[in-house]
Amino acid sequence: MKNIRTICTFLFGVMVLLFFGLVYPHHLHYQEQYQLFLFDSTYVWEIIKQPGGIADLLGRFSTQFFLFAWVGALIIAILLSTVQILTLQLDSSWTSQAAKSSEGWLYGLSFVPSCLLWLYLLDENALLSGVWAVLITLFAAWGIAKLVRGRTRYILLIIAIPILYWIVGPVCIPFPIDSLWTGIHYYRYPTVFPVLLWAASLSVFILTLTIHICHRRINTSSSDIVTFCSFALAATCMGYLVWRCSNFKAEKVMQYDFMACHQQWNRIIETINKEKPNNQIGVTVQNLALAMHGMLLDHMFEYNQNGIAGLLPDVKTDATSPLSTAEAFYQLGMINVAQRTVFEAQEAILDFQKSGRCYKRLAQTNLINGSYEVARKYLMALQKTLFYRKWANETLVLLGNEKAIANHPEYGRLRQMAYKEDFYFSDHVTPEMLESLYFSNTDNGMAYQYLIAYYLLTGDREGLNHFNSKK
Amino acid sequence: MRKIIYILLSLLIFSACTIETVSDARQETIQPQIYPDYLGVTIPANIAPLCFNMANEDVLCIDAVITDSHGNNLHSQGEESVNFDLDDWHTLLGQNLGDSICVTVSAKYADGWHTYRPFSIYISPDSIDYGLCYRLIAPGYEVWSKMGIYERDLSSFDEHALIENTQFEGCVNCHSFNRGNPTDMSLHIRGPHGATLLRKGDGSFTAYNTKTNQTLGFCVYPYWHPSGRYVAYSTNATNQLFHSTDHNRIEVFDTASDLQVYDVDKNELLLSPLLKQDTVYETFPVFSADGRSLYFCAARALPEGSHQLDSIRYNLYRIDFDPETGNFGDHIETIINAEAHHQSVSFPRPSYDGRFLCYTLSDYGQFSIWHHEADLYLLNLSTGESYPMTGANSEDTESFHNWSTNSRWLVFSSRRDDGLYTRPYFCHVDDNGGISKAFMLPQRNPHRFYYERLLSFNVPDFIIGPTHFDGRKACQIINDEYRKDFGVRKKSTSN
Repeated sequence: MKNIRTICTFLFGVMVLLFFGLVYPHHLHYQEQYQLFLFDSTYVWEIIKQPGGIADLLGRFSTQFFLFAWVGALIIAILLSTVQILTLQLDSSWTSQAAKSSEGWLYGLSFVPSCLLWLYLLDENALLSGVWAVLITLFAAWGIAKLVRGRTRYILLIIAIPILYWIVGPVCIPFPIDSLWTGIHYYRYPTVFPVLLWAASLSVFILTLTIHICHRRINTSSSDIVTFCSFALAATCMGYLVWRCSNFKAEKVMQYDFMACHQQWNRIIETINKEKPNNQIGVTVQNLALAMHGMLLDHMFEYNQNGIAGLLPDVKTDATSPLSTAEAFYQLGMINVAQRTVFEAQEAILDFQKSGRCYKRLAQTNLINGSYEVARKYLMALQKTLFYRKWANETLVLLGNEKAIANHPEYGRLRQMAYKEDFYFSDHVTPEMLESLYFSNTDNGMAYQYLIAYYLLTGDREGLNHFNSKK
Repeated sequence: MRKIIYILLSLLIFSACTIETVSDARQETIQPQIYPDYLGVTIPANIAPLCFNMANEDVLCIDAVITDSHGNNLHSQGEESVNFDLDDWHTLLGQNLGDSICVTVSAKYADGWHTYRPFSIYISPDSIDYGLCYRLIAPGYEVWSKMGIYERDLSSFDEHALIENTQFEGCVNCHSFNRGNPTDMSLHIRGPHGATLLRKGDGSFTAYNTKTNQTLGFCVYPYWHPSGRYVAYSTNATNQLFHSTDHNRIEVFDTASDLQVYDVDKNELLLSPLLKQDTVYETFPVFSADGRSLYFCAARALPEGSHQLDSIRYNLYRIDFDPETGNFGDHIETIINAEAHHQSVSFPRPSYDGRFLCYTLSDYGQFSIWHHEADLYLLNLSTGESYPMTGANSEDTESFHNWSTNSRWLVFSSRRDDGLYTRPYFCHVDDNGGISKAFMLPQRNPHRFYYERLLSFNVPDFIIGPTHFDGRKACQIINDEYRKDFGVRKKSTSN
């Protein structure tokens, strides 16, 4: 069977595709929401002028497609499969022609770099730029091997390394020197050394060397069955490792956050009916969805609760946890609170990137508040994106158009629901804030539900009676 | 085939370089609406070219011709903005000191060219300092993303970072120079590596721990004494609250604050009981031009637990200061009683020639950048007359400001652009305290620049030359654990 290797690569690609598409889709959404890829020369220049900039740019460019999980999964599948193919080609090109590394028992080893990259991508803070960096390095090494032979090949390789360093960063010279690796945009924490990425890049070198040594000593069989068995063994190991290292708990949390972001209230109800959430974000989203359906007071105790921390938790200074709370603030009509929460969340993004989700929400809150020039700035940035452009164009025409905003199903409603009287707030939501919101517009059923829920969750009977007497 | 490609490429390059002739233009009777608004502004001869865009985004092409009374002219045309040649611009301005230049703007729309009524730009004989130093940060609440301190050459568009928080964990603020001279410099670092970096007389930086057991906390709001020997600081217990629906988003306020002066030579803080009263919030200390007075803002403290923030109103005060001994006077003089008018003073800044004192006036509080009603006022120190700086003020926030070393130019923060992002503006102050119309910090393509840079320019201050700030070395000092403790003078002799 001539195409055994193609089939194996294809099967590997399908494994990756199915994993990220079915098992890990919200990790991809998570990645997308913490960057804002702009089709803008200044933005591009700011990225590519840094070491590893080209890989970073390609990583960011690809990540924007993660808005659609299956497209993201396909991109990762193609990238990882290409890495495997190039590893295989490289092993053949840089070792003796007699080497049969592309077949037989050693064949499975060609999946090692891809497998390590897969494991690397299980971490929500690992960025796709790392995968692109390995891919470009492999491609360059393969190209050099194909182009020239003998001593010239090594001279060319030495010349290529500094250029490659600028394009992809330290992946091309996999020495574990901390100062080389930190600060490169492979990982969301700039000071963290990405061990798995380093291992993936190192594995290519080790594999080439290993195969070079082993093919002389081991009489490898080149039969298709052996090759396939080698792949099957590698795939089994990969499957086991990936499953063991996957963070399904985080995936669940990200799923709730995604559903809240996209206002999928029915889907949230369906999800919580299948499995009751037991994490803070899940419970916050669950209560929001129940309130959006007007079911919070009647059904909240059928699900897990976490006191006030599951209703409107205190805003923390990280990029993740405040966003679903901000969604609740926004839907309640607490526009300034939502605005502050989203702004802070965006500022807390560890690699200093901006967020499409946050820009969109900041444009909305400024629009509702009548700060049209500020909203225009966010919208103009979103106009330079691939997937937020249409929404930005539609929203730009609303700026300053009071009648259109008043008639808008979302912005018109939220303007009516918003506070009428000013007061100060800080990190902690109080029943007085909800009460004031309710009395600003007694049609605000969300505020009513949240206020009563607040009293019920805190057991504040006195507060509840006091509120009822004022109604 | 190759020939065809060459011809096509040449045509492409040629078409890109072609300047369109303004023909059959419709003559408009109005002056153009340009961004930034440079109509009728007064500028120094050594400022970077005032490139501009049309405020109307439907413009296909913009053309500007600048002429002077000597028959010289300067022409620029562009799809987005006009961008004058740097050398030609400076030559033209140099030939017109004390005079004006005339700008004729034409804009091409879908229906053809429109030529607007010309406007003038006045060239002041007073030059402006070499550059500007500012912090760039998103106008947020408590969390910060990428930020840093930057230096901009005012005669060109060159900007570079002194230090960014990508180099260490934390944030930087309150950069301060002695009358624009960067050899005397103070800079605060906040976060796990918190310190105050100080250098005097072009020496190297020393990292200080400014917190002592006799003061409220870390020193903030530095202001150099003209001799370079002292730095006035306040210590502030600062809090933030947020508005639920008000036009102003944030309220930054102190729950306690005191003043002190640091003697750089002796490494000791000079304290006075008059400047650290429990019932008074004292803040924003600044030395007078002769260094013999300390101006500051102060307000009656709120009762504990009270959140009546709109009742905190700061007046402007003065106390004598003896630079020889470091002693303070024995009484405090009220300079501006803003509280009586239900207003509040912040950021007093005396001009270096001793003529004026510029300050910000808002309805209440001291963090006026978050107050849309905040405006700049000028106090004539000879007459005691105080008046709004109408030419500089707008309907939105005007707040922090600093004088150029010749005391003829003022740089100030304004949020007039969009109500949120702070931009630096400049205005000229003449002999009689007359204020010119303010102009925005020039950029090559201002619309693109200010729309894309979603960061505020904080604490703009003039510098008389490049700071020669070694960011790498500064980071080593910051990341090092060593901090020199501020000492405190054992006994204040006069108080």
